[in-house]
Order: sequence, then structure tokens, then C-alpha cells
Amino acid sequence: MPSLKDIKTQINSVGSTKKITSAMKMVAASKLRRSQEKAEAARPYSSRLEEMLSSLASSAASGEGIIKLLTGTGNDKNYLVVPVSADRGLCGGFNSSINKETFKLVKSLESNGKNVQIMPVGKKSRDFFNRVMKDQILESFVDLNVSTTGYESALNISNKLQDLYFDEKFDKCILVFNKFKSAISQEVTQQQLIPLDISNSEKKEQKETSSNAIYDYEPDEETILKDLLPKNVSTQIFKVLLESDAGEHGARMAAMDNATRNAGEMIDSLTLKYNRTRQAFITKELIEIISGAESV
Amino acid sequence: MAKIFFDLVSPENLIFNDQVGMIILPGKDGDIGILPGHSKIISSLRPGRVMVYGEDKTLLKSFFVSGGFAEINPEKCIVLAESVNEMSDLDKSSIETEIQTLEANNKDDVEDKIYIARKKIEAIDSKFY
Repeated sequence: MPSLKDIKTQINSVGSTKKITSAMKMVAASKLRRSQEKAEAARPYSSRLEEMLSSLASSAASGEGIIKLLTGTGNDKNYLVVPVSADRGLCGGFNSSINKETFKLVKSLESNGKNVQIMPVGKKSRDFFNRVMKDQILESFVDLNVSTTGYESALNISNKLQDLYFDEKFDKCILVFNKFKSAISQEVTQQQLIPLDISNSEKKEQKETSSNAIYDYEPDEETILKDLLPKNVSTQIFKVLLESDAGEHGARMAAMDNATRNAGEMIDSLTLKYNRTRQAFITKELIEIISGAESV
Repeated sequence: MAKIFFDLVSPENLIFNDQVGMIILPGKDGDIGILPGHSKIISSLRPGRVMVYGEDKTLLKSFFVSGGFAEINPEKCIVLAESVNEMSDLDKSSIETEIQTLEANNKDDVEDKIYIARKKIEAIDSKFY
């Protein structure tokens, strides 16, 4: 049986862990609010851009150069997978679900005879893929701090991606990220970034065709499209980074909330054990005294 | 006089959203003045000044945009800009030092930044507005 002192130390250590986790929960909650506001503020830009793009996209035939971002290279051989994870842990299954999903995706693409390369964003997925498929990592981005650096960080990734794309290093680029559903739930989502997948927005477009039909374009449709496509890539990445950031804080908040609750339960059961042990000692001592007195 | 809705949006937030009398945009092929009831246009923008006027043609605000797009219809004008500064926040001497530091480190991507910084100075010096 453990001594009273052992139990007391255990209770104390669980108590201080509980303090830390509840503090982390508070921090995550306030960060979540801030990054949610950021994600909210970024929405008008990306939705406008998407609308413009969908009204223009129909006019683009196949072409060379930048238009390739929309039409694709015509090949379907080389894939680039970009998992977006957090830089820090202690946020439940947030990072591991990204890594697992990406791993599965890479394996299934490979079994279909595709070449797959990986460009992890965030320390946790970089570390993971450094262990399991080191030779397939093309480049990695860590310490982005999207909430402080803002659009600049998305621009870096997008420029790198486009450089690689126009060097014909890959034909298709797929993002794997946590979509922010609510403060407590995230959904692992795959999104094809290059070539642009406009099938989602196409339905919307059909409704609006009547109002969208007669726009003048200045200088002309093709020039605008050439300006618009690279911007759209960076905007999409920015949106994903913000969502993932908000999701990370949400996941951490939920995980820390759980941890705090578990610590509380553990303290309760340890306290019960402590009291029982103390009572057992007292009873034992009483018996000793009484039996000692009797024998005199 | 009629009014037109004007939205100025950057990737990070919504910067301006109100009804105004007139807007002047730096279109790629030349400046565009927009009054209520303008025909439908989608245009790309060059780096330059976006001027916002009230109904009585007084200058309400002026911004510097580093390029972007504008969507205009009779009721509304939406500008999507990559980076937006209010003209009053721009300081000529600090931009000049920025250009110098950019020129000092020879990377591929600084050219665009230098170009935009030069345009900022041009916009500050410009007397036409």
C-alpha cells in the first residue's frame, strides 16, 4: 500500500497539471476568438475573387503560361500533396488526423502509379513525414504564424508552388487541411488547388448567369484572368491557413478542456484513496493501542 | 444626387464600405472615374491611388493600392486589392529607405516590391489629384 506522503505528492502533481491545462484552455479560447475574427474578415475577399473567377473561367480555352493554373498541364502523373498542420502539439487529434489522411492519400496515389511529392506546412507534419517518407519531401514551411504575419506567409507558399508548377515539377496539387466547422469540431478536407477546381462554384454560377452575363472587361478577359489566377492561388492558401489556425486553437481548447476535467476526476479519486488510507492508519493505530492496553 | 456603394477589400479585411458620390480607380489602361449608374465592368488595376469622393465632390479618403481588381455595376463598386495603405499613412522618407534596403539585398522577388514602392512615391508626389 502506498504511503500517505506518496498519495499527497501525486495529488499535488495532478493539481499543478490541472492548473496548466486550464490556463492553456483559456489562452486557446482567446486565440480562437481572434483567429475566427481574422478568418471572418478574410471571407469577403476570397468569395468575391471566386465569383469573378467563375464568371471568367468559362471564357478560357486551353492555353499556355498562366492559364495552365486553370486548365492543367494535360498530364496526370506527378502529384504534390500539401498537408497543413499546426506548429505545436497538445491539441488532440488535430495534427495526427492530418498526417494519417495525407499518408493514406499518398499511398493510394502511389498504388495508382503516380509520382507523389510532399510539401508539409507546419512543424508537426514536417516532423512526421521526415520520419516516414523523407526522400519525398520537396520543401517545407514552418513557423508561419499566420495570425501575425498575415497574407505575406500565404504569398510565400503560393509563389513557391507556382514556381514549381511552371518548372513542371508536378501536374496536380492537393491540399489536406482541417476545415473549421465549429469551435469544437474540425473536418479533414482535401482540396485540389492546381489546376483550379471550379466545379464547386459552377452551380452557383448558373444561377447568376442572367445577372452576370454582360460585363465589359478591361483590358480584356484573358489579361484579367492571367492576373486573377495567381492571386486566387494565394487567396485559397491564405484561407486554408486561417481556417487551420482557427481549427488548431479550437482543437486545443477542446483537448485542454478534457484534460482539465480528467485531472479533476483523478484528484477526486486520489483524495478518496488518501482519506481511506489515512483512516486505515488511524484504525490500525487504535487497535495497537487498545491491544497494548489490554495486555498490561 | 445618387450614391453608389463602394467596397474596398484586402485579403485580410474589409477596409471601406459605404455609400459615396464618386470613385476614381487606377485602371490598367488608365484611370477610371465611377459615378452611380456606371455600366458593368470588370477591370484589373495598376499600383496607384484610389480616390473616394462624397456627394458634393469633396475628397473623403484616398488609398494606395498595389494592384488588384475592380468589379463595377450600376449600384455597386467593389475593389479587391492585395495591399492597401491610406495615403496619409505613407511616409516618403521611410519608403525611400525601404527601397534602398530592398536594393541592397539582391533577391529575385524584390523587384516587384521596389516597383510598388516607387509607385507609392509617385503617388505621393503626384499633383493631379
